[in-house]
Amino acid sequence: MSKNSKDIIMDIQNLQAKIGDKEILKGLNLQLEPGKVHAIMGPNGAGKSTLSKTLVGHYDVELTGGDIIYKGKNINEMEAEERALEGIFLSFQHPVEIPGVNNAYFLRTALNAKLKHQGKEELNAAEFLRAMKSHLADLGMKSDMISRSLNEGFSGGEKKRNEILQMLILEPEVIILDEIDSGLDIDALRAVSEGINKMKDGKRSFLVITHYSRILDYIEPDYIHVLKDGRIIKTAGPELVSELEENGYDSIKED
Amino acid sequence: MKLSNLKDINTQELSSVLDVKGREALLERFSTLGLPSKKSEEYRYFDVEKLFDLEYKTLNYIPKTIVESDKIEIVDGVVVTAPKGMRIYYEACEMIDMENFDPLYYLGHLLSPLTIKIEIDGDTEVEIEHRFTQSDALINYRIVLYNQANRHATLYENFVAEDIENTLVLYGYDMHIAQDSTLRVVKKHTMEESGYSIVASHRINVAKQANAIFKSFDLGGGQALQLLKVDLDTYAHIDASHLLYLNENSKRGTVSQIVHNGEHSTSKQEAKNILDGDARGIFDALIKVQPSAKFTKAEQNSKAILLHDKAYMASKPQLEIYIDELEASHGATTGQLDKKQLFYLQSRGISYVEARKILVIAFANTLIETVKDTRQQELIKASFEEVFYKGHKEYL
Repeated sequence: MSKNSKDIIMDIQNLQAKIGDKEILKGLNLQLEPGKVHAIMGPNGAGKSTLSKTLVGHYDVELTGGDIIYKGKNINEMEAEERALEGIFLSFQHPVEIPGVNNAYFLRTALNAKLKHQGKEELNAAEFLRAMKSHLADLGMKSDMISRSLNEGFSGGEKKRNEILQMLILEPEVIILDEIDSGLDIDALRAVSEGINKMKDGKRSFLVITHYSRILDYIEPDYIHVLKDGRIIKTAGPELVSELEENGYDSIKED
Repeated sequence: MKLSNLKDINTQELSSVLDVKGREALLERFSTLGLPSKKSEEYRYFDVEKLFDLEYKTLNYIPKTIVESDKIEIVDGVVVTAPKGMRIYYEACEMIDMENFDPLYYLGHLLSPLTIKIEIDGDTEVEIEHRFTQSDALINYRIVLYNQANRHATLYENFVAEDIENTLVLYGYDMHIAQDSTLRVVKKHTMEESGYSIVASHRINVAKQANAIFKSFDLGGGQALQLLKVDLDTYAHIDASHLLYLNENSKRGTVSQIVHNGEHSTSKQEAKNILDGDARGIFDALIKVQPSAKFTKAEQNSKAILLHDKAYMASKPQLEIYIDELEASHGATTGQLDKKQLFYLQSRGISYVEARKILVIAFANTLIETVKDTRQQELIKASFEEVFYKGHKEYL
C-alpha cells in the first residue's frame, strides 16, 4: 500500500515499542487513509493493544524507534491530551471506572477542552445537555447514565456505549476501536456499530482492532491488516476475513 | 510574651507569669500535662515548639459595642458584629472539662478568664467569621456555645486574615449540645503559607439523644491544628468529618478523642486528606469506649492521597475499649492518584492539571457534598479550586 501523502491521515513508519522490558512492536508500518476503515486482526500477544496504546501516547509504552506522522506532523513526543485535542481517539477495551466523577461533567469538560482548542465557544450545561439528547437516543442509552459516576457500575455494554458516546461528541479524525465488540450482546453490538457507522463521513479514518470477524459484519472494512509478532505481515481487502476464519493466522504468508 | 517560659514551671510560678488569681484546678491540670513539646503525643507531628519560642505581644480583650450584621464577626478575639437578637455575653466559663487531654485547652482558659458565651436560639443558622489583624501577636480567646433542647441549629465558621505575620492564635469552643437537639458545625479554613499559625482546642459535650455534626474543611498552606475532645452521653451521636487539602510546607490536621460515656452512643469519624508539595497532614484520633458505654457503635476511617513524593500523612486511628458489647471499626489508607484514571481523562483532551483536579475533587466530594446548604457547598468548592490552582501554578 503506497499512497501520496495527501491520501494518508496517519503514517506509521517502522514503529518499535516496548512495555517494561518486553519488545512488542518490531518495525510496524501502516498507513491510515481518510474515510477508510482499517481492521487489524491478529493472534493473542501479536501487539494489537500495544499499537493502540502507542498511538495515543499511553504511559505504559516506551517508543524505541520509528515515527508516527499524523496529518503531516511527527507526534512521537506529543502528550496524550494534545493528541486527543488534535483528533486522535481511542475507545478503550476496558474503560476505567471513576467513582465521584459525574459522567455529564466529564463529557462536557472533554468537549469544552476540544472546543477551546479549536477556538470555539464553550457550551454551558443546558446547551450541552441539548446536544447530548439525540446521541443518547441513537445509542439506546438511558438519560440517567450521564448523571451517574463515570463508568461506575456500568455493564460491559454500557461502558462501550459510553465510549461511543464520547466519540460522537468529540468528533475525532482518527478513531481507534480496541476490541469494541468484546463483552457485547447482539443488541449492544448493533447499537455501537450504528454509532460508529454514523461517524463515517469520507474523511475520518477508523482503526478497528479485533480478534473476531463478528464486528466486521456491522462495520464494513476497506482493508484487513494482519498483525503478527509486532509487525503487519499482510494487507488485503475484506475478502481476507473469510480466509482467516477458515485457515487461521498460521496460514498467512508475509507479503 | 514567650510561651516557652511556661515550660517546666510549678503552679505558683505559672499563676504569677500568667497573672492568674485562683483557678488552682486549671493551673494544676496545665502544670501536670505540661507545655506541649515534640515529645508530647498529641503534638508530635506539629512543630509546636518553634511557635512557643517566638516573642508575642499580648492584646487587650475589651468588649466592644456589637453592631448588627448578618453574621457574628470576631476580630482579634473581640465580637464586633452579630445578627439581631443573638445572645452574646462575656462570662467566666461555668463548665470546664477537667479530663481534657490537651494542655492548650487549659492554657486557653487560663489566658481567657472571660469567654465569649453564645446562646443559639431555636432552629437557626449562624455564621461566625474569625478575623485576625495583628502581626507578632498572641491572639487568645474561647467561645462557649449553647443550643436549645429539641432544636436543630447550624453553625458555619470561616477565617479571614489581613496581611499579618508571626501571629499565633489560640482559640476554641466549649460546645454544650442540649438533649434531643442537633448542632451542625461546618468549618471552612483556607490559609496561606505564612501569616499566622493556629491551634484550635475544642470540647464538645453531647447530651442524651443529641447529635453533633462537625465538618471541617482545611485548605491551603500554613500551620494549624484542631484538637477535639468529644464526650457522648446515652444515645448521643457524633458525625465528624475532616477534609484536608494541603500544599507547600503546610502542617495541619486533627487530633481528637471521642469518648463514649453513655450506653448506645454512636460515633462516625471520617478523614480525607489530600497532600501536595512538602505538606504534612495529621490525623491522630482516638475513640475511647468507657465501661459505662455498652452497645456503643464506633466507626473511624482515614484515607489519604499524596500528590507529591515529599508529601507525608501521619495517620493514627486508635480504639481504646473497656467493654465487650459494642461494634467498632477503624482503618487508614494512603495512596496516590490512579494512573489509569488520570490517563483516561487525558486521553479525552483534558489537561494534566484539570484531570488531577477532577480526580482530587471526586475524592473530596463525598465530604463536600454532605454540606446541605448549596451556597456554603459552593463556597467550599470555590475555595478548594482556588487553593488547587495556586498549588499547581507551575503547570498552568
